[in-house]
Amino acid sequence: MNALISLGNAYVRIFTPSSLLLMAAGVSVGIVFGSIPGLSASMAVALFLPLTFSMSPSMGMNMLVAVYIGGISGGLISAILLNMPGTASSIATCFDGYPMAQKGEAGKALGFGIVFSFLGSVFSFIILTFCAPLLANIALKFTPAENFGISFFALTMVAVLASGSMLKGVLAGMLGLIFSLVGMAPIDGTARFTFGSSSLMAGYDTLPTLIGIFAISEILITAESMGHGKMETIKMKPIKGFGFTWNEFVYQIPNAIRSALIGTGIGILPGIGGSTSGMLAYVTAKNMSKHPEEFGKGCPDGIVATETANNATIGGAMIPLLVLGIPGDGVTAMMLGGFLIHGLSAGPLLFVKNADVVYGIFAACMICITMMLLIEFFGIKVFVQLLKIPKHILMPLILVLCCVGAYATNNRIFDVQSILLFGLVGYLYHKFRLPTTPFVLCFLIGKMLETYLRRGIMQYKSFGAFFQRPIFDAFFFVAIGVVVWSVYKEYKMYLNKKAVKASEQS
Amino acid sequence: MFIKKYGDMIVGGFFMVLSAGMMIMAKMLPKSKIMDIGPDFMPMCIGIVTFALAAALAFLNVKNLKARKEEAEKMEKEDLDYKRMLISFILILIYVYLLQPVGFIVTTILYLPFQMYALAPDEKKTKKDIIQLAVTSVIFTFVVFFLFRYGFKIILPAGIFTINL
Repeated sequence: MNALISLGNAYVRIFTPSSLLLMAAGVSVGIVFGSIPGLSASMAVALFLPLTFSMSPSMGMNMLVAVYIGGISGGLISAILLNMPGTASSIATCFDGYPMAQKGEAGKALGFGIVFSFLGSVFSFIILTFCAPLLANIALKFTPAENFGISFFALTMVAVLASGSMLKGVLAGMLGLIFSLVGMAPIDGTARFTFGSSSLMAGYDTLPTLIGIFAISEILITAESMGHGKMETIKMKPIKGFGFTWNEFVYQIPNAIRSALIGTGIGILPGIGGSTSGMLAYVTAKNMSKHPEEFGKGCPDGIVATETANNATIGGAMIPLLVLGIPGDGVTAMMLGGFLIHGLSAGPLLFVKNADVVYGIFAACMICITMMLLIEFFGIKVFVQLLKIPKHILMPLILVLCCVGAYATNNRIFDVQSILLFGLVGYLYHKFRLPTTPFVLCFLIGKMLETYLRRGIMQYKSFGAFFQRPIFDAFFFVAIGVVVWSVYKEYKMYLNKKAVKASEQS
Repeated sequence: MFIKKYGDMIVGGFFMVLSAGMMIMAKMLPKSKIMDIGPDFMPMCIGIVTFALAAALAFLNVKNLKARKEEAEKMEKEDLDYKRMLISFILILIYVYLLQPVGFIVTTILYLPFQMYALAPDEKKTKKDIIQLAVTSVIFTFVVFFLFRYGFKIILPAGIFTINL
């Protein structure tokens, strides 16, 4: 009951013209960023971080939520119209969206995408609103042992995330752990790997690291491909309403519910973001469908599955972020930076100390998706125009804003210089085909892991005593199981590949 | 092409060197006197795991080098513009190091047109385009500066000019 009252209060606080206007702006910018390939939702959140400085914590976080939501759903526009996914989450939207657009059904494809994005988000936000406070209550009773178990579990998700080329994926994460060690050690404050530099004493700050990895590297990658590449022109037939009939809508409901469940579930697991959930939902929809042969040729089911799932991931990913302070993917990692800026620490205590901010975020989620629905519906033509801004003008402007954002975090020029370092890391990762998400996840969790481990050992005297805590046991053994299972799967895949090669040669 | 053939070996080798160096440095860190695991524990653990993984990656690639070479030969050559990327990197490098001593306004007004020109496709490098880039840069710089100065109350590095607006 308390939850509903708090939620009601949050709605009342949010319904002011200025905050609605700011959120509408956030959603619009998010959509633009989401829809331009090469500009990601993480980048949009990075740019908005400094803008929220002067706002109240609640207002600032609401705006970031708005950008996040816009950024994830914006990807469908360019995926359908240009066959280029604006964000990684909407890769699978291309498979059916573009063929539909080629058949002249772009309007219908967009209609499906927009409406089911909305429904997917609604589903996940309802789960978020009612589950997160309950989980936070449990998490409040955690000792360092349980927290260590959860951090350890989150780290092992990197192995799952990297399946396909696990060695490289895990190594990519190890570098993140190594960077997280720089600076003063937790508990006793011993300086590690600082090479005598006083700037390094405090370690690499979260925000510049993320901006570097996500935004700066993207600029360098774009620079590489600027020599060629042209924008295509888009033709669109005018449509009525959302372009599909009531019967078509009803037909998609089972598909949508399944995808929403997949999306929310994947979102809750740390480290696995919208791109995975979108693909997974697409494949599942295809396997469950009565006419799988139509997938990939312009079947609306594919768009519905992907877009429902990737938007449902948002609410899922916010659960570990708010309850435990562990980000679910790149964008939520940036959101964690937002919490830090406003002096809030994400985690179970947030629900006690800053309940207004938490419920504000819940309320903002609901309002922002409604705005997203309206803005995308009425503004689709405008967004198509914006896709035409030349990148050679856009990218440098974004770089300057990133530098300013990094500087504004701590007023240290060292942070601006470190974004270049991490930009280079991100670029080299791209060159050597190493995934960046494990790096970010490990960088953020590394510090937590060590702090909790050492704190726990101080409290319980030995590591063996951790095993007396059932919740720690559960997470620890699931984590070990996850590692064993992924290694086994990887080994099987390796053998399969070998067998295929051998049969090719013979 | 080079990266495709030897990329994983380079990655493996790099991580082996890095983790070895880290383990040596971790050895030199002081041990904790009050508890079993001190500040050297985590770096040591991470070092060992990284070294093992990197060695495995390098070993597997040396073993499969022939197959990988064949695979790389089959793939078509990528058409990438390293000149643009390198120029951009150097420009960004200069920009972030001059930001503090010279100041936000001057550095940004100078940096933006160069960066845009460096990124621009070849057919968009006429005189008219250059003027357009310069004008965009100047307007953008001042908008950002004043927005942060008055909107968000954040003072960006002033550098050689002390502006008291």
